[in-house]
Amino acid sequence: LSSVVWAYSENEAVSDEVASAAAEVAKAISGEPVVLEVGAERGGTKAPGKKLVVKGPPQDSPPGVVSEALGRVAKEIRPAVVLIGATRNGREVASSLAAKLKVGCLSEVAKLASDGKTVTGERVVYAGKVVAKVSAGLPAVVTVKIGSYPRTTSPPVGSEVKDVGEVDSKLKVLKREKKEAGSVDLKSAKIIVSAGRGVRKKEDLGMIEDLAKAMHGALGCSRPLSSDLGWLPEEHHIGLTGVTVKPDLYLALGISGQLQHTAGMKDSKVVAAVNTDKDAPIFQASDYGIVGDLYQLVPAIRKALASQG
Amino acid sequence: MKIAVCVKHAVDETELKIDSEGKPQLSGAAGKMSAFDKNAVEEALRLKSASSGEVVVFMAGTSDSKKTLKEALAMGADRGVLIAVDPLAADTLRTAELLAAAIKKGGPFDAVLCSEGSSDTYSGQVPPMVAELLGFPYAGYARKIELEGQGATIERSLEDSVEVVEVPFPFAASVVSEINEPRYPTLIQIMQAGKKPVDEVKEGDLIPRGQRSQLAVLSMSAQPSTRKHVIIEGSPDEAAAKLLDALKKEGVLSN
Repeated sequence: LSSVVWAYSENEAVSDEVASAAAEVAKAISGEPVVLEVGAERGGTKAPGKKLVVKGPPQDSPPGVVSEALGRVAKEIRPAVVLIGATRNGREVASSLAAKLKVGCLSEVAKLASDGKTVTGERVVYAGKVVAKVSAGLPAVVTVKIGSYPRTTSPPVGSEVKDVGEVDSKLKVLKREKKEAGSVDLKSAKIIVSAGRGVRKKEDLGMIEDLAKAMHGALGCSRPLSSDLGWLPEEHHIGLTGVTVKPDLYLALGISGQLQHTAGMKDSKVVAAVNTDKDAPIFQASDYGIVGDLYQLVPAIRKALASQG
Repeated sequence: MKIAVCVKHAVDETELKIDSEGKPQLSGAAGKMSAFDKNAVEEALRLKSASSGEVVVFMAGTSDSKKTLKEALAMGADRGVLIAVDPLAADTLRTAELLAAAIKKGGPFDAVLCSEGSSDTYSGQVPPMVAELLGFPYAGYARKIELEGQGATIERSLEDSVEVVEVPFPFAASVVSEINEPRYPTLIQIMQAGKKPVDEVKEGDLIPRGQRSQLAVLSMSAQPSTRKHVIIEGSPDEAAAKLLDALKKEGVLSN
């Protein structure tokens, strides 16, 4: 086993975060952090040390191909820890790589540490109710929670190329499309106004969207509105299986606050909620709560915004 | 069309109690079918009805988790396979190895469906691992699956894009909850589910127990709440004004 710590993400911004995580783990075991790229070389890659370009499969290859390519190099180099950004594709790459290498895999971990024998970290389980400290014996594959490390800013010191040859894939990518309603970028929004089942009709979402605009915020929703009712595209869905956000202000309107939802917004700086049910769990997840009807409160907040300027 | 669906009997996170020391009380905690697994079962039933064939539900769990298997059978799955495991020794790779071995033994299958992750621990590791171990092409986060000729066209829902992929039979996929609306079994279906066959296999009979798991949970504690929990009173206008004042003081309102 070498003392190399790999960092990989198909997403450049996430790759810079994983690179920082790799630097920390490598430091703890007096090892070497290496940032990986699969397919073509990327221009702006940042790395705390060297970068390694895995050539053979084309850029933007599906996760199965990426994991096969990484697996081939891993069998040769035997990295102590493989850190992969916990995007949807990244989680697949990590899991299938772990199965190939027959090693343990930790998911969506933050606060990584290592003593050279194991790698440990913290992850949130039971829909946000519990923090678990988890550990895996080395070598291990770990997906790194997005947003849990700052981005590395330094350019790589040196680069190496490994050619793994062609990688066959039974899966063919026919096309990739940006999701509709990509105009809302919930991840970078400072203010999110979010609607839940308290909204009675689809048309009433207009009033919530207006408020979001007036507050210079983005519109989010809980799962029923996107998945069950289809009133908003899935891209607005905040929660365990939707987008995870951490805005400065999260204003929850008519959202009961089930764990599946709060898992996606619990890291917001300030949370305010309006709900008719005083016992709604959303109030446990809020800094400011108003027990009341959103149909009265939304116009009132609009009015107060206008008068306060 | 023969479809294998993998389900998990998960801790019901909404019922999970936290003790006075801030530790979750996992022993004896209520369990249920992992929420999104219902979408996987539903999708398998839908694909079966489009072709005809069999839906077999696989679960690695203890015998008290059988009700989850029964629920899948009540929804319409044809039979179940319960792999009896030692919950303390279970980890994701071992679980995937057992599921893959049972699927291989009970096969051949045209497709293996899972949900994107379990509602309790949501690691999402098992589905890609099962696919890897079976050597099946894998399409994760499917929001649409259409059977076509010798395979399927699948829409994968990623963070900010949709990827349309094509896979031949046999394939594996995980589904997201937006793919369908799971059916509720009727009372009659629930009663009939009791008569549907469930094979029980011991994990040691599938794969001999190897070395001890390298994965461990060192500790668990409740997420401390740092929220202020201020309830703002007054008429809608008063409450709205007070709320904006508070948010201004927090410095989170943009101008």
